[in-house]
Amino acid sequence: MTTQMKEKPPLGQIIVITSGKGGVGKTTSAAAISAGLAKLGHKTVVIDFDVGLRNLDMIMGCERRVVYDFINVIQGDARLKQALIKDKRLDTLFILPTSQTRDKDALTKDGVEAVLNELKEEFDYIICDSPAGIERGAQLAMYFADEAVVVTNPEVSSVRDSDRVLGLLASKTKRAESPEGEPVKARVLLTRHDQTRIDKGEMMTVDDVLEILAVPLIGIIPESQAVLRASNVGTPVILDEPSTASMAYEDTVARLTGEEVEMRIGEERRPGLFQRLFGRTS
Amino acid sequence: MRTETANGRSGRATVTAQPFQIRGRFITAIALRLESAKLDAAFYEALDEHLHRAPQLLLNAPLLLDLGLVPGLTDKEVLRALVAELRKRNLQVFGVQNVSSDPQREATEALGLIPVAIGRETSVEKAGKSGRSKIDRLLPPDNKLITKPVRSGQVIFAERGDLTVIGSVSSGAELVASGNIHVYGTLRGRAFAGVHGNESARIFCLRQEAELLAIAGIYRTSESIGDTLRNHSLQVFLKDEGLYLEALT
Repeated sequence: MTTQMKEKPPLGQIIVITSGKGGVGKTTSAAAISAGLAKLGHKTVVIDFDVGLRNLDMIMGCERRVVYDFINVIQGDARLKQALIKDKRLDTLFILPTSQTRDKDALTKDGVEAVLNELKEEFDYIICDSPAGIERGAQLAMYFADEAVVVTNPEVSSVRDSDRVLGLLASKTKRAESPEGEPVKARVLLTRHDQTRIDKGEMMTVDDVLEILAVPLIGIIPESQAVLRASNVGTPVILDEPSTASMAYEDTVARLTGEEVEMRIGEERRPGLFQRLFGRTS
Repeated sequence: MRTETANGRSGRATVTAQPFQIRGRFITAIALRLESAKLDAAFYEALDEHLHRAPQLLLNAPLLLDLGLVPGLTDKEVLRALVAELRKRNLQVFGVQNVSSDPQREATEALGLIPVAIGRETSVEKAGKSGRSKIDRLLPPDNKLITKPVRSGQVIFAERGDLTVIGSVSSGAELVASGNIHVYGTLRGRAFAGVHGNESARIFCLRQEAELLAIAGIYRTSESIGDTLRNHSLQVFLKDEGLYLEALT
């Protein structure tokens, strides 16, 4: 009893990373945010809900260590402890990979709830990486969430899909279905922000996006080569060498934990005059 | 007879709640009463002379054949020839009335002519509609107030009354109301007012970027709304069978 009292009880906050549209950066963001939270000392687990299209483990660089997965746990074939993969870089970060061979029908509401309840006993933050779309997988990823990060690109179809997802968060979640209690706290994470293209009128401005979505902004991630690089080497952007994107994710993570951080729009350094004259330097 | 709306792009809209709409239509038709079953050259000569005197009145008019005085006219071929002659004169024969016998009914039905009952029967659809409006009258109006933004994919339906939204309506969202629609925000989605046929229903919004605006089934899409009233606060109403947009100053 006394030893347990010394430790702070886990926060048990469930955050879904969702978007509706595919390819906007959900998994990259889920990896970066969970690594960022773990880096701050919070015990964090990230769950891949994209059953059948297992990607998170690759972005996290642990694909070769997967034995049991989320579906095995839901179906009772493995214990949760067996399926959780501990990150090699941060000892507060865990990954619950999904199955590549099954499909979204293998997810059940009761099964997901049981796994999440067990994780809440131990973790401060439970990050649910939602699949694209608004079908079963995406709905179950968001159903038990306390908070949502809606990943959006400054582009019309992405904004419209995010809007649809915000509608689902406000109606098809456990918090929405219980009359008392707060609704899911949803915030927008704008990714692939490119000021040069916005200036040319090829992309929507931050204000345009927020005007349509009418929810607070949690961060602006600039379009960056570092993101692609990090994905390919299996390191969350935030743990890779410093870049504008990793700094933007760090700010985002700080805001998630309740800190107030001023919004800044970092950009990839544009090639200067000399670089343009003499070609690429690297 | 009702004509299609003055605006070329307007037309019938469907509502999500029901994929079609049944609306009452009164058309004016002329009836040609045959005084005798003798359809000879003299008959057509008299008809031609009449048409010559009032060509505008009868040209392309929907026409009923009144067979009340010619119960003996049951020969399908004679009737077929008569219909062909009338159509040659741009008279649009579509039905018959006062059919007195079964052979006559069979002959006219075989020619595709619709038996029209005048002033005695009402159609099933019409009875259904009046039944509904009776229920609508008995129930109190049920206005709806939405205080959150309406998101893409959401449909808000005010079955009996007005729909008011405080906030914006996203592209891909739909508002459906039997009465008026008010949007205190930007209307980017679709709005259907007066869906049960209330032609005096109106749509109001603080800022218009709508995908579609419809009142009582008459609609305009974003393309036909045009850009002149985009981003304006405005009201939408029906006038002369057309959908009008008017800026609110």
